[in-house]
Amino acid sequence: MLSNGKKMASVSDMYDVGWEEMRDKLRKWREDNCRNSEQIVDVGDELISEHSSKLGDDVWIIYEQVMIAALDCSRDDLALTCLQELRKQFPDSHRVKRLSGMRLEALERYDEANKHYDAILQDDPTNTAARKRKISILKAQGKSAEAIRELNEYLEQFVGDQEAWHELSELYINEHDYGKAAFCLEELMMTNPHNHLYCEQYAEVKYTQGGLENLELSRKYFAQALRLNNRNMRALFGLYMSASHIAASPKVSAKVKKDNMKYAAWAAAQINRAYKLAGHGTKESKCSMKAVEEMLESMQITMS
Amino acid sequence: MADPELLLDSSIRMWVVLPIVFITFFVGIIRHYVTQLLHSDKKVDMEQVSDSQVLLRSRILRENGKYIPRQSFAMRKHFFNDAETGFFKKAKRKVVAKNPMTDTSMLTDMMKGNLTNVLPMIVIGGWINWAFSGFVITKVPFPLTLRFKPMLQRGIDLLSLDASWVSSASWYFLNVFGLRSMYSLILGQDNAADQSRVMQDQMTGAAMAMPPDPNKAFKSEWEALEIVEHKWALENVEEELMSRDLNFGPIFSQDLKCAMF
Repeated sequence: MLSNGKKMASVSDMYDVGWEEMRDKLRKWREDNCRNSEQIVDVGDELISEHSSKLGDDVWIIYEQVMIAALDCSRDDLALTCLQELRKQFPDSHRVKRLSGMRLEALERYDEANKHYDAILQDDPTNTAARKRKISILKAQGKSAEAIRELNEYLEQFVGDQEAWHELSELYINEHDYGKAAFCLEELMMTNPHNHLYCEQYAEVKYTQGGLENLELSRKYFAQALRLNNRNMRALFGLYMSASHIAASPKVSAKVKKDNMKYAAWAAAQINRAYKLAGHGTKESKCSMKAVEEMLESMQITMS
Repeated sequence: MADPELLLDSSIRMWVVLPIVFITFFVGIIRHYVTQLLHSDKKVDMEQVSDSQVLLRSRILRENGKYIPRQSFAMRKHFFNDAETGFFKKAKRKVVAKNPMTDTSMLTDMMKGNLTNVLPMIVIGGWINWAFSGFVITKVPFPLTLRFKPMLQRGIDLLSLDASWVSSASWYFLNVFGLRSMYSLILGQDNAADQSRVMQDQMTGAAMAMPPDPNKAFKSEWEALEIVEHKWALENVEEELMSRDLNFGPIFSQDLKCAMF
């Protein structure tokens, strides 16, 4: 595993932390659902190889977390060790069965993995985790149409599963079916009205769909995303783009044109301000401000 | 009526009051663990899960529908409430009356519940009544009427004794309810030693997570959704946003550090 017989610096040495801080960091990553698999593998590997006795009952959930991260980083050896420990401790658990299915997926043995999940579902038809893994297998195999169909059926029964709605919206975006993707994002916006990212994604989908009505909607939702989080630069640029796009369209009335030009001007001013703040203290601020203005100019939509 | 200030023997406190507290406490803890051992997994019905989620979605539509465009809201409302094809109109669930006598799983659950909760209470209450009879334990801090005397002063036949003086059996019952907060401190929330909650459950009847009649729930949800109107929250969002400069906060003032710890 380690070449030249050199011992790699351990995480605790590099950052000067004790095992409790490492365990707490892992818990924070677990609660926030972060996918920083390499960091999890580094921290978790050291934690379980050297401090497993001190962790008590926490060790099992750390095994699960490290195993999934190890599969993400192709560390099959580490994943297998974690899985074996879990299997020894919880021999009949569906949760552990799902993990062995995931390992088979990582090794691309999809048929065996499917058998695992079918066995879980036979025992417990309401097990959502196994159904979602089956859909991921379809996605991994590239069968997006089937994956979409299965996910739709799943969502018909479990209408409240937000993770699934988000996944479905991504699948639809990949298939360029923006109308249906917008529907999924609307579900997410309803259940999480204060999440600015869903508003922004919805606005982007509407912008991509095109057409005057959709552009108006996208401008509104970019504005909403900005209202929820003033720092969302992507939404700020989106607001600028959608407002200038509407203003440049030949079919709009004079009042709408004037309003949208006002919005676009405001957005441009805010962008300038943001770059000015970012360039504070650096010597190139004058040049970069000019670059920003030129960028904004070039982004103007010219309708033929 | 004169209030005889009785002076109780301090050995009563040592040998009666405290032992009863300990007995109640430990019996409660034992009950909690025994319930956990005998606990059988509740089989959850797929349709119930799905129905409860649908009702949740409808409720969210009512509450947060103002965040999505008018047409989308109308589309979803139509899906739920349309006279012919609406979900709440079409879905008719078979209502299985859960008769406690015939439904085996509920019967065993009830028996287990009785065994672990009611039986110890009766046994220990009776033992305490027999073992610690013939004297008063303590005085409740508020005055009670004479009607309470036969209940709270078992085994003592003194007509002139104030009803505030109680015997051991009532002290036991006081403990059973009073130690509830102690249990939640030690055993965590939702523990099986919580007897009063068990009795509350029995009183509210067969009230499970989903009301036994989903059809009624659907009907009430249909009515609630009918009257909801769509008032778009984004009507004036641009004006509100542009009334002042954006607050970028501190993110541009320094380099963001992305270290692990």
